[in-house]
Amino acid sequence: MKQYECKLISQQEVSKDIWRMRVYTPQIVEQSSAGQFLHIRVRDSIAPLLRRPFGIHRIHRESGELEILYRVVGEGTNIMKTILPGDTVDILGPLGNGFNLNGNFNTAMIVAGGMGIAPCFYLIDSLLELQKKVILFWGVKTSEEIFIDVEILKVKGLEVHIATEDGSMGHAGFITDPLSNYLNTCLQKDIMQGFACGPNPMLDSLQRITKNSAMDWEVSLEAHMACGVGVCMGCGVSHRDGGFRMVCSDGPVFKLTEVDLHE
Amino acid sequence: MSDMKVQIGSLVLKNPVMTASGTFGYGTEYMDFFDVSLLGAIVTKTVTLEPRYGNPLPRIAETPSGMLNSIGLANVGIKRFLSEKLPALSTLDTKVIVNVAGHDIDSYAEVCRLASEHPRTDAIELNISCPNVRQGGLAFGTDAVFTAQVVAAARAVTDKPLIVKLTPNVTDIGDVAMAAVNAGADALSLINTLLGMGIDIHSRRPLIARGLAGLSGPAVKPVALGKVYQVAQKTDVPIIGLGGIMCWEDAIEFFLAGACAVQIGTLNFVDPQGALKVISGIDTYAKEHNISSISELTGAMIAPE
Repeated sequence: MKQYECKLISQQEVSKDIWRMRVYTPQIVEQSSAGQFLHIRVRDSIAPLLRRPFGIHRIHRESGELEILYRVVGEGTNIMKTILPGDTVDILGPLGNGFNLNGNFNTAMIVAGGMGIAPCFYLIDSLLELQKKVILFWGVKTSEEIFIDVEILKVKGLEVHIATEDGSMGHAGFITDPLSNYLNTCLQKDIMQGFACGPNPMLDSLQRITKNSAMDWEVSLEAHMACGVGVCMGCGVSHRDGGFRMVCSDGPVFKLTEVDLHE
Repeated sequence: MSDMKVQIGSLVLKNPVMTASGTFGYGTEYMDFFDVSLLGAIVTKTVTLEPRYGNPLPRIAETPSGMLNSIGLANVGIKRFLSEKLPALSTLDTKVIVNVAGHDIDSYAEVCRLASEHPRTDAIELNISCPNVRQGGLAFGTDAVFTAQVVAAARAVTDKPLIVKLTPNVTDIGDVAMAAVNAGADALSLINTLLGMGIDIHSRRPLIARGLAGLSGPAVKPVALGKVYQVAQKTDVPIIGLGGIMCWEDAIEFFLAGACAVQIGTLNFVDPQGALKVISGIDTYAKEHNISSISELTGAMIAPE
């Protein structure tokens, strides 16, 4: 079973227009792995008609709760932020394939752009549980989007690099700049695994700067979806073999080298 | 206790609710969400002779109370369909209707013949109404002469119940319906999607890469209901109604307009258990109205003045 009426525990605006929703859903928590997503019906109505897909931000096994981190951008998310504690939310999940954490690596490099940070927290928690070293490259437009005290991440053992497009924190510019420098000087690529989630131009740029790298990269993609389970065939991504793959059912996680993200 | 059974030619369904082609994959994808055997039938994604990747991206977009799609009949091709997809349905206790399409008369007939030969195929639905492919599809479904030719060619190669799926994108759907019936169709299903479009005013690009696309969802329901009514005035062959059904009340409307069964399409995306809710709602309605057999409702609307 993958459809649940989940009780909303809390809603909080953690930064301007970025909200964190927490729901009680022990079955989804139990079945899920980092990188999988949820398909949410924001209300029982034909407007908006379709569900909205969101990566799982974090899970809390002991309480059976999970969190979704989302930016309010349109009709669906504007309704979603008004769901109150105690109300139920119709959720399909967990859907999609998730990240592969079983590779032979001891250090994980994570590149997150904008709201691409959302599933990365679940990924970080899972990697730390596996005793992996984690290096996070986090790019945003402005420091307001850094909704968590970076020192907390460092205390957990993460190496954190921040880039802001407006220069308000860390490197001024795109996150791919410090990433590129890091990769050029880093010598232990063979024991590292890369993970990335963010806007397509960032992933496209990542493809270029990692072209001759020995490192293996997995990327989590975003797409407009109707069904979320692979039947409508709407959410395709171009594949190197000339065809398409479905982001919802073949992904959302793909090998960086197999997808064509150039627009 | 009302009898939910309906008959479409020689095909007997345990209830009048099936899932529409293109919204239910190959029948296995929703097994994680409910017991698919509770459906009256499933209609598979359109299958063609050769595998197809489909149209360029983006190919879906949401519109007010509806959605546009231009998938372009992406499918695994008849060979893989018969060897992998149909066998996966062997243990299901429901009817399997295989939806097929071609790009010319010969390919329509050939894919129809191959699909019919498989023992798991209970009926064929001929897709002559896809708005999103260059060859075949609408080119056949909008022309009564072509419709007659392609239906006759399919009829010649199958003894299984033959359902012809009609497009609403015509001047008079009755003409095309009669052409299909006279050429040997056992039943008609309608409507396929309405031709539509959406444009992003900031990028000035169409929402769908190919420009024109097919509109579905609750926005099209009144159009679909009107077409079912029009066709029911012209012919006595069984009509399967579809187009924007979101709840059991919608399904009852289709019965009253002249349909003997319905297909659930876009609702599957919104609520995977929606089709089951439609079934139980119909059942409750029939009991409350002392209807002994659901087929009594077909065409039972009080005639307009």
